[in-house]
Amino acid sequence: MSETSIIGTSVLRPDAYDKVTGGKGFPVNVRLPGMLHAKLLRSPYPHARILRIDTSKAERLSGVRAVLVPSEVPKKKFHPVFFSPGMAASMIPDMLILSDTVRFAGEPVAAVAATSPEIAEEALDLIHVDYEQLPFVLDPEDTMKAGAPQIHPHAPNNIAMAPSFAFGDLEKGFEEADYIFENTYQTQRVHTCYMEPRVCVVDSDTFGNLTVWSSTQSLFGLREKLASALDIAVSKVRVVRPPYIGGGFGGKLDIGFIEPISALLSMKTHRPVRIEHTRYEDFITTARNPFKVVLKTGVKKDGTFVARSAKSILDTGAHATHGAVVLMVHGMYGFLLPYRCPNSKWEGFTVYTNNMIGGGFRGYGVPQAAFAVESQIDEICEKLQLDPIEFRLKNSHSEGQPHPFDPSFKLDTYRFADCLQQGAAQIGWSNGRSKGKGTGTKKRGIGLACQPLWVSGCIGFPDIYEHSGAVIKLNTDGTADLSMATIDMGSGQTTTLTQIAAAELGVPAEAVRMTYADTETVPFDAPSHASRVTYSAGNAAKVAAGAAKKRLLEVAGPMLKTTPDNLETGGGRVYVKGAPDRSLPIADVVKQAESPYVRMVPDGMQKTSLQEKGTVMGIASLAPAANPSPATAEFVEVEVDTETGEVKVLRVVYAHDIGRVINPAGAEGQVEGGFQQGMGYALMENLVFDQENGACLAADFLSYKMPTAVEMPPEIKSIFIESNEPTGPFGAKSLSEPCAIVPAPAIANAIYDAIGVRIRELPITPEKILAALGKLSE
Amino acid sequence: MKKIINLDINGQSQEVAVGPHHTLLQVLRDELGLLGTKKGCDTGGCGCCTVLVDGKAMYSCMIFAMAAQGKKITTVEGLTENATLDPVQQAFIETGAVQCGYCTCGMIMTAKAYLSSNSSHVPSDLEARQAIAGNLCRCTGYQKIVDAIRLAAGRRIVASSEKG
Repeated sequence: MSETSIIGTSVLRPDAYDKVTGGKGFPVNVRLPGMLHAKLLRSPYPHARILRIDTSKAERLSGVRAVLVPSEVPKKKFHPVFFSPGMAASMIPDMLILSDTVRFAGEPVAAVAATSPEIAEEALDLIHVDYEQLPFVLDPEDTMKAGAPQIHPHAPNNIAMAPSFAFGDLEKGFEEADYIFENTYQTQRVHTCYMEPRVCVVDSDTFGNLTVWSSTQSLFGLREKLASALDIAVSKVRVVRPPYIGGGFGGKLDIGFIEPISALLSMKTHRPVRIEHTRYEDFITTARNPFKVVLKTGVKKDGTFVARSAKSILDTGAHATHGAVVLMVHGMYGFLLPYRCPNSKWEGFTVYTNNMIGGGFRGYGVPQAAFAVESQIDEICEKLQLDPIEFRLKNSHSEGQPHPFDPSFKLDTYRFADCLQQGAAQIGWSNGRSKGKGTGTKKRGIGLACQPLWVSGCIGFPDIYEHSGAVIKLNTDGTADLSMATIDMGSGQTTTLTQIAAAELGVPAEAVRMTYADTETVPFDAPSHASRVTYSAGNAAKVAAGAAKKRLLEVAGPMLKTTPDNLETGGGRVYVKGAPDRSLPIADVVKQAESPYVRMVPDGMQKTSLQEKGTVMGIASLAPAANPSPATAEFVEVEVDTETGEVKVLRVVYAHDIGRVINPAGAEGQVEGGFQQGMGYALMENLVFDQENGACLAADFLSYKMPTAVEMPPEIKSIFIESNEPTGPFGAKSLSEPCAIVPAPAIANAIYDAIGVRIRELPITPEKILAALGKLSE
Repeated sequence: MKKIINLDINGQSQEVAVGPHHTLLQVLRDELGLLGTKKGCDTGGCGCCTVLVDGKAMYSCMIFAMAAQGKKITTVEGLTENATLDPVQQAFIETGAVQCGYCTCGMIMTAKAYLSSNSSHVPSDLEARQAIAGNLCRCTGYQKIVDAIRLAAGRRIVASSEKG
């Protein structure tokens, strides 16, 4: 079997059978003997000081085994997000496991471990807390004003971080511009809506060693951050890789409150302790940060950018969490890098408010930027009567140029122009656009949006660690066990990685199995984030498999009476190059390697060679060689009902340059799911809070509306423009995040095409459309 | 106060001790170890916990265990007979309808109920979408789930395999 019969093939997911018959491998299913269940008491106030906590009644309740209060947790502040070992400057340590000052409604103030979740819940009602309510601020601009309540002592004016970047001469650029556009774009807080709640079980031994099962996107990140929060050595924490987790999308990148609280309760009780979030708790624990972006652009008559400036304000809520890094990625990959402009300036503000904390979410700050940038490009094109495709091509990078983020990398494979052209042809761009097509009150329009530049992981980013590792071990039946710390969030990482390893080894895809791993048995792997796994972890899987193959050929050489360099593998066999009839099953070679040094044969004892002895295996631990950019263009057709304001997406075409496609069905699945998240962001999803008291008003799926199958368009078409990325495993780059970045501006642009109305604030609800059409009276 | 009741689950009578506030979901997962039925929200909003109650797809988080007495409950564990997958399960695998898999079992139960009571034709795209409108999925965009339902229906083996 050649590599080409595995790579580029929609091999079936190895986990699908278990998932359709019950799905045992989720962390939510972990049960240990003697396990206790814990629940968290959460603050009803957005900002308050705890004067006194009385837990005596709760402790007396039958079945309660331990109560945890702020005075018992480590006093060292931590930051819950992992990027590099140790604390990078961008990681602001502003959290305690339990604090005596609460900074958002829902922040935990105490925890109870009991023999059942119901008893733990009942005990929460018996804890009496005296709060001193403090003034609070929920608006991200008010929070920076003089006299606003101070949320953290280390952040004057509640500014957690205020980075800025500039190049060229902005003033001169705007002087040279023929036209200047300035608009404000706003995005809302939305939730990742992974289906499996956050859950963990933490067990401890008498030496204080912890073993952790958690719905995490990062095995080693969880180890590092949990150790940091507890102020203990990392080697005290073992994290077990869950075979799968029920979605993540960035929402499970950080440690929650639950892991350190479970750990402390386990150490207190010497029992395993489990915490499972309710859906309400999930909703207030992670979100895509809301942004306000003021975008000013100077262009020549022909559409060439000559000056661009932007100011972005990110509401990070009560703690910095991802906020500081989301802001940087927003500025760099959302604003400065995707298009060329000689004079540019960006300034960003991550500000504290008494809102819920934010988190990672597919696209990581860039959907908010793309909504501004890609909407405004269409506004410019409308005014100057330029074609939006030509405009984007005029200002974009091209293949072979240095990478704008790190010129030591090149855009070796970069087919952005093909994305635009093939997507346009598929949707019928040239004759499909015209305002108000359609009959009666329903108007149709077509729009496009792009993410011209993206990442395949984080290599080159400051302070971000990007290694991956793999161990592969061959079995005497010719199969192989691959062991990696890489988390499969559901997007099919396990499938892709086993495909890559199988192709390199020369065995059928189903002969490689992803197996057990924990932080003590496998090399480091960075989180499953930043669209990185296929490229970065894929390279590690390929190198480990390559090392195992080398060893396989060394053992097979004497067996086939030739030298290893004359051998090749394929279809589960080792064969002599150019003489495929001289071959052996890989299983026989592995058996030979694991056979006794001296064997009994009919004639007596027979010595074999010492060199061939030992299990056939390979390991790798490496940083990827580059950060190749995928490119994305998306086209949508919408229908707007001008009487009701309802928007229906009728057709969607995505064109992606992602390098070589490893698994086409898996890649399509990324695109289709990405559109659902992006469409929800564009049209309906909104985590709404009561402005009087900071309480979450959309904390279940009945009030938080994400698209069901009915709202989704009947077909999402994926076009993959395949290039062969020289640094990627079998030519692959990356895919996931741009799928969710582009829908909001594409839909906003299509709505404009349909009804001539520009909405600059997400979500684009029927009310906003009717108001813009002048159809809402006071 | 707990009471001993009998529930008919996947064709077997199961004796369980339940309180009046215990949901069918809690009993399935925590008492009987039937972990295929998932808790996604516990408030009737996501469909991860869907099971068949007398052949109808229902959210098991919205049914008190005591109210399920005398009814035939089918969970995903009851679909597979002698390691032979139900045609709906098989179609989910083949079309790539499974990603993270957390919604999958509930989605399959809803699809199963729909196809059992609409066995005469292959549902249109819209009909398939309406059938699963009570089940949320965040990974797939539903497209391949719709493909799976139509594939299973198209194989015209739904009616004969109905277990109700």
